[in-house]
Amino acid sequence: MSDLLSLLSVGAAAIAAQHTGIAVATNNVANANTAGYSRQRVDLESLPAAPLVGGVRSGAPVRMQDSLLAARIQTATGSLAMSQAFANALAQLESAVAGGGSTIDEQLGNLFLKAGQASAVPTDPQARDAVIAAARDLASGIQRRAADIAATRADADARIRSGATTASSLAKQLAAANTAAAKSDDPAQRDHRDQIAKQLGQLVGGQARVDADGQLRYVLDGGAVLVDGGRAAALAATPDPTTGLARLEVVDGAVRRDVTTAIGGGSLGADLKFCDQDVAQTAAKLDQVAFDVTSSMNAVHLANAGLDGVTGRPMFTPLAQVAGAASLITVDPALAADSRLLALAAPGAGPGSNAGALALFALGTRPVAAGGTATLGDAALDIVSGVANAGADARGDVTRDGLVADNLAGLRDSLAGVDTQEELTNLARFEHASTAMAKVVSTIDTMLGSLISSL
Amino acid sequence: MRITGNRLIDLAAASSTKQQSTVGTVSGQLSSGLRVTTPSDDPAAWVAAQRTKLRQALSQGAGAAVATSRDRLQLTDGALASIGDIVSQIQTLAVQGASDTYNANDRAGLGAEVRGLFQSALASANAQSSDGEYLLAGAASLTTPFDPGGVYLGDAGVRAVPISDTTTAGTTIAGSTLTAANGVDVLPLLDRVATALSSNDLPGLLAALPDLAAAVKQVATTRSHTGAAMSSLEQTTAARALLEQDMQQAISRYVEVDTVTAASDLAKASQALEVSRAVASHIITLLAPST
Repeated sequence: MSDLLSLLSVGAAAIAAQHTGIAVATNNVANANTAGYSRQRVDLESLPAAPLVGGVRSGAPVRMQDSLLAARIQTATGSLAMSQAFANALAQLESAVAGGGSTIDEQLGNLFLKAGQASAVPTDPQARDAVIAAARDLASGIQRRAADIAATRADADARIRSGATTASSLAKQLAAANTAAAKSDDPAQRDHRDQIAKQLGQLVGGQARVDADGQLRYVLDGGAVLVDGGRAAALAATPDPTTGLARLEVVDGAVRRDVTTAIGGGSLGADLKFCDQDVAQTAAKLDQVAFDVTSSMNAVHLANAGLDGVTGRPMFTPLAQVAGAASLITVDPALAADSRLLALAAPGAGPGSNAGALALFALGTRPVAAGGTATLGDAALDIVSGVANAGADARGDVTRDGLVADNLAGLRDSLAGVDTQEELTNLARFEHASTAMAKVVSTIDTMLGSLISSL
Repeated sequence: MRITGNRLIDLAAASSTKQQSTVGTVSGQLSSGLRVTTPSDDPAAWVAAQRTKLRQALSQGAGAAVATSRDRLQLTDGALASIGDIVSQIQTLAVQGASDTYNANDRAGLGAEVRGLFQSALASANAQSSDGEYLLAGAASLTTPFDPGGVYLGDAGVRAVPISDTTTAGTTIAGSTLTAANGVDVLPLLDRVATALSSNDLPGLLAALPDLAAAVKQVATTRSHTGAAMSSLEQTTAARALLEQDMQQAISRYVEVDTVTAASDLAKASQALEVSRAVASHIITLLAPST
């Protein structure tokens, strides 16, 4: 009788083990579409009790996860977020330098066209007005492009400041999740922690590493630690004293560490690179073009004479330096007000001379830009082509990083994803086992009943 | 490799999205006719197209200058033709007036007629273009080139205009070609003939006859220069038309879509989209739990 009673205990334990399996399968199906969820598996193990059968019990649910794969996904997520943010920012910059109306090279072409037309009728007021109007269009076009580039930079800078705040908040959440995960065996806590780390990766790149002590440490590119177990540092954006643009510092108590140039991933990394390199280079090129336009056209204009025979007047207001030239370029106000001052004639020749007009026209093919190595048109085209090439490369990076991330997502799904068909099969398997055990228990109960009745 | 149902659905959805994007892109290209809508679509092609447009602008500037100059040369040629006719008429009248059969009164009558012709020649020599420039004034184009006595007040400046983006050609005729620098002072000569006839100055008239013959040749030579310049501009214009056609074709090649290729791509992408949708539908049906 004692054996029958122990068999009843075996049956009860077996039913409990199968129910654990049912619970895990049910939980897996319930979370089939939960972002970041790692499926769980329950392993049953037999209980040794020789010479009789000892029964079965369930182990603790195991979270299907691979640390190496998780680290690769973390890196790939940061890279993809960076290339996407970089491509978006470059698209905005491309629109600033080439979208919305005529490009600078087209406005230059129009100015040369009008100078060519005026060379045949240098005293004609309409032809002279047309040259000045084209010069005004060019100057205002360059100014507008400069303003648009500055606005693009301001947008990126605002994103950096806002991103720093979000990153600090995520770092705090990650530290809290880390603490919670350390205190609990609940796999869902680790899923939650990994999800936050992934969001942080999308923002700042870097690496989330789970050390032997089970604690997660979030390290930025360059080595600055943002989260160390339950301790979170802040990411602070402070204005650069020279440029006014945001610089990023990891603030951990009294210790501040500049990570502006170290962050090489995530959308913040993209915006930092975008501001410091691409926008800065584009703005500098535009300034150089504005300066070269002003210098070369003024050189021609100063040397030639207006309808009144007077020389020495500038076409554009002279610029003292390259920096900021694109924002300042403007047609000389006196010339803008009186087209008779337009110097289309050779000095000392009559007003019907067109030497000045020819010299202006010739600037269309002379290498007067970029230190005498390029025409003004080519220098203007170089601004757009630089951005366009970077944009095309960035799109390629998005595709490449997307494929990598997708491949890794496939690997993760292969390991940790929930397959409902599989879970339903498991459910059926556990259910059948449970039902069978119930029948065993029922049979033993019947046997026990018969035995007790016969006593 | 373990592939979950969700992964299959994700893959099918991604495939559909990709094909749909391709269909959208190719449709957009076909409807706009453009393969390159933003510079980053094809930076090299965009730059090549813009560089060609810049050359096109320079060519158009030169073309406009040539067209204006050609019109002006036609006006100049008309003025020179008029002057040439008048010089020939005056030469005829001068030969008549030099005849012994003519008396002082006859010569005075001829003198009055020559005076009138001289005024007409002077008016032609002081002709203006539509924008007010004097055709034969050289660079002093806002000043009347010939005074009432036919003396030239302008200069020898010849206006060169661009005929391509790098070369120029002279396109005006200065009134100095009608002065002693190139033979005889044509208009003062006419005045002199008129005075000789009016004052019955037979020796003076006879002395002017060789000059008149030279003047006829001088004007004719000037006209031939004008004609040569016009012909040169005509050839330039024809060459530029071909060049601009080539440039336009080059721009089209760089940025416009090849309709046949795009239509073929659209057909392929549409078919791929249909197939990927069918696959997605099949996967969803397959994975649906049986009730």
